[in-house]
Amino acid sequence: MFRKFRKKSPWILHYNAGSCNGCDIEILACISPKYDLERFGVINTGNPKQSDIFLVTGPVTFRSRERLVELYTQMPEPKVVVAVGSCTCTGGVFRDMYNVEDGIDRYIPVDVYVPGCAASPELIIDGVVKALEVLEKKTKAMEKPRKLFSEATTKEGIVDRRECAQKVGEADAKDTE
Amino acid sequence: MIEILLILLAPVAGGLLYGFERVVRARMQNRQGPPLLQPFYDMMKLIDKQTLIVNPTHALLGVMHFVALWAVVAFTIMGGNLLYIVFLHLLASLFLVLAAFSVKSIFSHLGANRELLSMIAYEPILVMFAVAFYMLNGSFSIDAVRANPSALGSLLFLFLAFLFVVQLKLKKSPFDAAKAHQEIVGGAEVEFSGLFFEFVYMALWLEYVFVYLLLMLFAGDNILLGGILFCVAFLLVNLVDNATARVRMEHLIKIFLGIAVSLAALNLLGLAYV
Repeated sequence: MFRKFRKKSPWILHYNAGSCNGCDIEILACISPKYDLERFGVINTGNPKQSDIFLVTGPVTFRSRERLVELYTQMPEPKVVVAVGSCTCTGGVFRDMYNVEDGIDRYIPVDVYVPGCAASPELIIDGVVKALEVLEKKTKAMEKPRKLFSEATTKEGIVDRRECAQKVGEADAKDTE
Repeated sequence: MIEILLILLAPVAGGLLYGFERVVRARMQNRQGPPLLQPFYDMMKLIDKQTLIVNPTHALLGVMHFVALWAVVAFTIMGGNLLYIVFLHLLASLFLVLAAFSVKSIFSHLGANRELLSMIAYEPILVMFAVAFYMLNGSFSIDAVRANPSALGSLLFLFLAFLFVVQLKLKKSPFDAAKAHQEIVGGAEVEFSGLFFEFVYMALWLEYVFVYLLLMLFAGDNILLGGILFCVAFLLVNLVDNATARVRMEHLIKIFLGIAVSLAALNLLGLAYV
């Protein structure tokens, strides 16, 4: 009964995992009058217990790792993780630096990757809209136990989250399933 | 009969009002804004989401906050005792404070402390509001207020003071330190989630209905004036919300006890001696 309302009210939790603030400013620009993300019902809650979409920026510094995972676990299901910016997707210019983990998908599963340094507001909005689709799919998957028994994509014995996730701006291979 | 219908529809009306307000606020900022029914979409989503319960008391007190506020709105619509309603409303707010103190979250405690401080700020005005109508009508009954002609002329200062309370009770900037959206992540309601946050969320809608119903008492039996007062207050509250920054808690108390309570007290003195 409530199914069709799920994607009409996505509340966002925004976390800066050691970002340079470039992407954060672009996220704020999305809420500003020009792009107006609120027309999709988006609220920037800042509270993990009440949010659906986890927007992460930054390449995950050592200090922010624990908070990142903590915030992720505090969010009630269904939830979607969006990695905003090149750093968050892969580590970006900070890749292989001594104090940086390369991207958040080493710690939490990511559903949508938004590239760009800094990611442009249009792309972030695109990513959030994509995340809404994923959110709907996830809620459907939650009802079916199929997901529990399906095979995970593994590479050399390690679960490859990057393969499981959907990417923005690319053809949806997963949609054809 | 119509009263019972109104009472049952009060949360729906509050939700519509809240949705309309979000649109108005967006238009004031030159944005398109969410759809009118957005609060109901939020509601449906929250029902659907996984609920994390911190402790049973916390969840129960959140529901009681909603139920008590609904009772307050019901008594206001039925035309009960004004003083009784003011104190019942205080009890409803206290449920939320107790809920916030029942968890170990530091933000929750901070929000609850601020909530208590803001009660110190606005409660005297609400009590004086009731006393002023008693001095005019010789009774605390809301029915008596609604039966008599508008007293806006003799209660002008109190009306101005009441506008402060509207701003604070609806958690609007500059008096939103108790909720403080990003600063203390929602304050007292930070630990609620899913279904139980839903009740706290709907309680805010009822708060809208309650505050504007009290505001319309200034119009007495003149329904047209009541409508005008409501529209003016509604636009003014949102304009101020959009145009001002949040004040700190101690400044909030100073502003309330300094300006608003003085205005209300001056009005009472005027009623007594002039």
